Amino acid sequence: MDRAIRRTKILADHLLQVQSSDSSSTDQTPSLSSNVCLSYSPPELSEDYAFDIKEMRKLIDGHHVEERDWLFGMMRQSKLFNPRERGGKVFVTPDYNQSMEQQREMTWKRIQYLTERGVFKGWLTERGEEAEMRRFAFFEVLGIYDHSIAIKLGVHFFLWGGAIQFFGTKHHHDKWLRDTENYLIKGCFAMTELGHGSNVRGIETVTTYDSNTSEFVINTPCESAQKYWIGGAAKHATHTVVFSQLNINGTNQGVHAFIAQIRDADGNICPNIRIADCGHKIGLNGVDNGRIWFDNVRVPRENLLNSVADVSADGKYLSSIKDPDQRFAAFLAPLTAGRVNIAVSAVYQSKVGLAIAIRYALTRRAFSVKPNEPEVLLLDYPSHQRRLLPLVAKTYAMSFAANYLKMLFLKRTPQSNKTIHVVSSSFKAIFTWNNMQILQECREACGGQGLKTENRIGHLKGEYDVQSTFEGDNNILMQQVSKALLAEYLAAQKKNKAFKGLGLEHMNKPCPVIPSQLTSATLRCSQFQMDALCLRERDLLNRFVVDVSRHQANGETKEHAVIMSYQLAEDLGRAFSDRAIFQTFVDAEATLAAGSLKDVLSLLRSLYALICLEDVAFLRYGYLSLENAASVRREITKICSELRPHALALVGSYGIPDAFLSPIAFDWIDANSWSSVQQ
Amino acid sequence: MEKRNVESGTRGRARRRQSERIRSMASSQQEQVLVEATSFTRILTLNRTKQLNALSFEMVSRLLQLFLAYENDPNVKLVIVKGKGRAFCAGGDVAAVVRDIKRDGWRAGANFFSKEFTLNYLMATYSKPQVSILDGIVMGGGAGVSVHGRFRIATENSVFAMPETALGLFPDVGASYYLSRLPGFFGEYVGLTGSRLDGAEMLACGLATHFVPSAKLPMLEAALSVVDSSDPVMISSIIDQFCEQPSLKEQSVYNRLDVIDRCFSRRTVEDILSALEMEIVGRNDAWISATIQTLKKASPTSLKISLRSIREGRLQGVGQCLVREYRMVCHVMQGEVSKDFFEGCRAILLDKDKNPKWEPSKLELVTDSMVDVYFSKVDDEEWEDLKLPTRSKYNLSAYAIAKL
Repeated sequence: MDRAIRRTKILADHLLQVQSSDSSSTDQTPSLSSNVCLSYSPPELSEDYAFDIKEMRKLIDGHHVEERDWLFGMMRQSKLFNPRERGGKVFVTPDYNQSMEQQREMTWKRIQYLTERGVFKGWLTERGEEAEMRRFAFFEVLGIYDHSIAIKLGVHFFLWGGAIQFFGTKHHHDKWLRDTENYLIKGCFAMTELGHGSNVRGIETVTTYDSNTSEFVINTPCESAQKYWIGGAAKHATHTVVFSQLNINGTNQGVHAFIAQIRDADGNICPNIRIADCGHKIGLNGVDNGRIWFDNVRVPRENLLNSVADVSADGKYLSSIKDPDQRFAAFLAPLTAGRVNIAVSAVYQSKVGLAIAIRYALTRRAFSVKPNEPEVLLLDYPSHQRRLLPLVAKTYAMSFAANYLKMLFLKRTPQSNKTIHVVSSSFKAIFTWNNMQILQECREACGGQGLKTENRIGHLKGEYDVQSTFEGDNNILMQQVSKALLAEYLAAQKKNKAFKGLGLEHMNKPCPVIPSQLTSATLRCSQFQMDALCLRERDLLNRFVVDVSRHQANGETKEHAVIMSYQLAEDLGRAFSDRAIFQTFVDAEATLAAGSLKDVLSLLRSLYALICLEDVAFLRYGYLSLENAASVRREITKICSELRPHALALVGSYGIPDAFLSPIAFDWIDANSWSSVQQ
Repeated sequence: MEKRNVESGTRGRARRRQSERIRSMASSQQEQVLVEATSFTRILTLNRTKQLNALSFEMVSRLLQLFLAYENDPNVKLVIVKGKGRAFCAGGDVAAVVRDIKRDGWRAGANFFSKEFTLNYLMATYSKPQVSILDGIVMGGGAGVSVHGRFRIATENSVFAMPETALGLFPDVGASYYLSRLPGFFGEYVGLTGSRLDGAEMLACGLATHFVPSAKLPMLEAALSVVDSSDPVMISSIIDQFCEQPSLKEQSVYNRLDVIDRCFSRRTVEDILSALEMEIVGRNDAWISATIQTLKKASPTSLKISLRSIREGRLQGVGQCLVREYRMVCHVMQGEVSKDFFEGCRAILLDKDKNPKWEPSKLELVTDSMVDVYFSKVDDEEWEDLKLPTRSKYNLSAYAIAKL
């Protein structure tokens, strides 16, 4: 049946093609000649726009569209951003064929250029929703140009600057924030060590206090304590925040943060500091990651970032937070901002990949179905639609989820810290994994052209791979999600109270039932979709609780029990994330009035929900029957073919300017012509 | 200021002459565009010398008709556009448009712009090369019927400007496409200040593709009249034989690109002005002071919508640019936010007191939401977005495809 529909569609497409070339028979170039050689046919001229692209972009970008475009334009117009003309269009991407040293130098020059033009104005000195959201928007745009520039900025502003904002007090703010914003000093963030990454509490750097001179003494006691992967340290940074155990009179007070200068204004490394380069990497070579050793480096007492704890001049340890666990949690708070940025920027890379792959699939043909017929457009193959369009739906879902996450972060309160931690961990892990999967699919969908660096997609995989590791390893973040859910469950059980928060309220309601027969209408109904996702989350949470207590009943510690139940924990983390993301999609859709925008969004929402339902857990744990699963699969194919006419508009709504895509997204024949070689 | 004299003279006369013409003879449009044909070349000469060839509705219609016909005519390989007299074309006949609006409502004006922008789009995506010979004044609408084409020949007589912000309008005719693609932020400078460029500057920034001394133009025309191919490489090499490399004057604004980039890259008009003011703290610079003065004299609303238009245009195809500009120009004519266009025409073209009273009168009074209105759909049941002519996907040149 599918096959018959497909054949009919291909034939119909061909008939339509013949017709359109007939209607242009008065053209100077006879239509016959287009059979002699391939010619590039711009998809803009044959694809219809059924909805308002500008409106859609506003919805998924969420905020500061005009400001984003200003920054895109700022980069496009500057020679520093390496503009190249291909196929009559200008493209801006860094020259990744440069040496590591050259790439670092260019990244730094670009940052200086943007600083001079006021792009970072207010990034640390302005507070409030408007300033924070604008900063998010600019950061997203910069990440679309190049991951290195984003990370170099992220380290300086969000990690170094953020540490001063969050761990420091007024005199730190006064002393450092404005100079940081103006790049009079360049900051870095020395947390990770060779021997300890995710387990920050295990770091081995040790700081003691010398009350004779009122100085802290920071020391790297062993090779595994060298600071590692410190962005900015190898070349440019003048200052760093150092994370270290604080040892006061023989008592370890846990991890604290100190400011230390590592270079003078002329770039000479300071005494008692040793720095080495982390070397060439699979991506991010525009970032100068380095390693730092501290040889009893002395810093003044006020260099302790003392919002959580302080040491008096005579060497007494003072802290308003008595519980070391809570103290430590307070230290990790700034990493949340990093996770929000990473999650959001992952979505934009997926958009770059898909915009290129879809545009290419709308202009590239392969194989005729019958001899002497024109070859078929890649995106007219149902298999190609099935590969790419569900990923488009995913980017839409992730966009809404990202906007939700940004707002959650913006409106943070001490009470919402837990939610932010759980949601940002979950979205960061899921989005960055999705991104790698999407880029790989897009790369393959572009065939050999996807392998050229100028076409971006393949290269982006290397550039963005690191996202699944930094600011919290994805697997560990997902464990934290399931652990948090477990804690919620136990708390509710213990106090015999209803679930509240993290979207778990559905646990209080009766368990949803999946109909044995799934019609097309049911499969497209958002209530059914939500029910299915809640059912999986509820059941997995129950199973996880049971499994953990079974291990505990056998005399194992809770920690060990959780480790032993890792398979359920992983499935649960995924279930929570899918449901939380889906909820944001439903909420975004609900804000729209009936119309073409809403119609296409509801198709995307259904497609997103149904690919979630294809997760193996639905069969593994029996939420869907084999027959149900077959219906889901069939419906996905159908929705893909319904979305096919909107494909160009859907990727156009990403709002990524042509110059930030790549030659294969446009006239790739002219871009590869002999005359372009001679230019 | 000289600029305004030229224009106001043109447009004032244009207004009177044109109304006479419309009444007196229906055949006038044939005369306003002269057509010469050689075997494969068509030479179109704009012929309203007294109005410095300002584009009337009839001229725009005639050009559109001719370009459409030539596209499907296998005997036409090349189209040359030039102007008679000392101007190539001083712009659209704005005074006539204002008169029509006052008489028949803003739709009458919409008619003109819709036709003009359609012509601009056709030229931008034309399947055959257009060579424009810019031996004189090229302003506003004049740029619109030349810059979009494949080859633009400047001479020592060329004077280019987009002077709309002084008139309460904004750089239209697809200017948000081509200005935004000039090097760095030169497009913002040219579009906001209405600064005049000579032939050497036009070539340097890319508004012109070639520079040919006017004395050699007859020979160039003769050479182009005998081509039998649309191959742009061949046509370019013919033009090359007559080219010279002009040198920029020492005082040229093009030597000030560093200042222009630093200041005109700023996000808002206010930021641009304060960046310019920062440049002259503690030092004299006549050119910067004059630039600040020019900006302060222009319509605040015009400046803001022009800047936003250029910024949006930078990331859009030429078709999207024209559709957006059409929305904008309809809002300008409707005058629901500001009536500066009518005030500008009054002060510059009609009463010629050169003292327009802008309303809102200051930049800070023009809010973002007021600017937003110009970029929204026109709220009128009968109004439609600009319908661009269908372009066949089978014979578009790579040059045209890149602009979509």
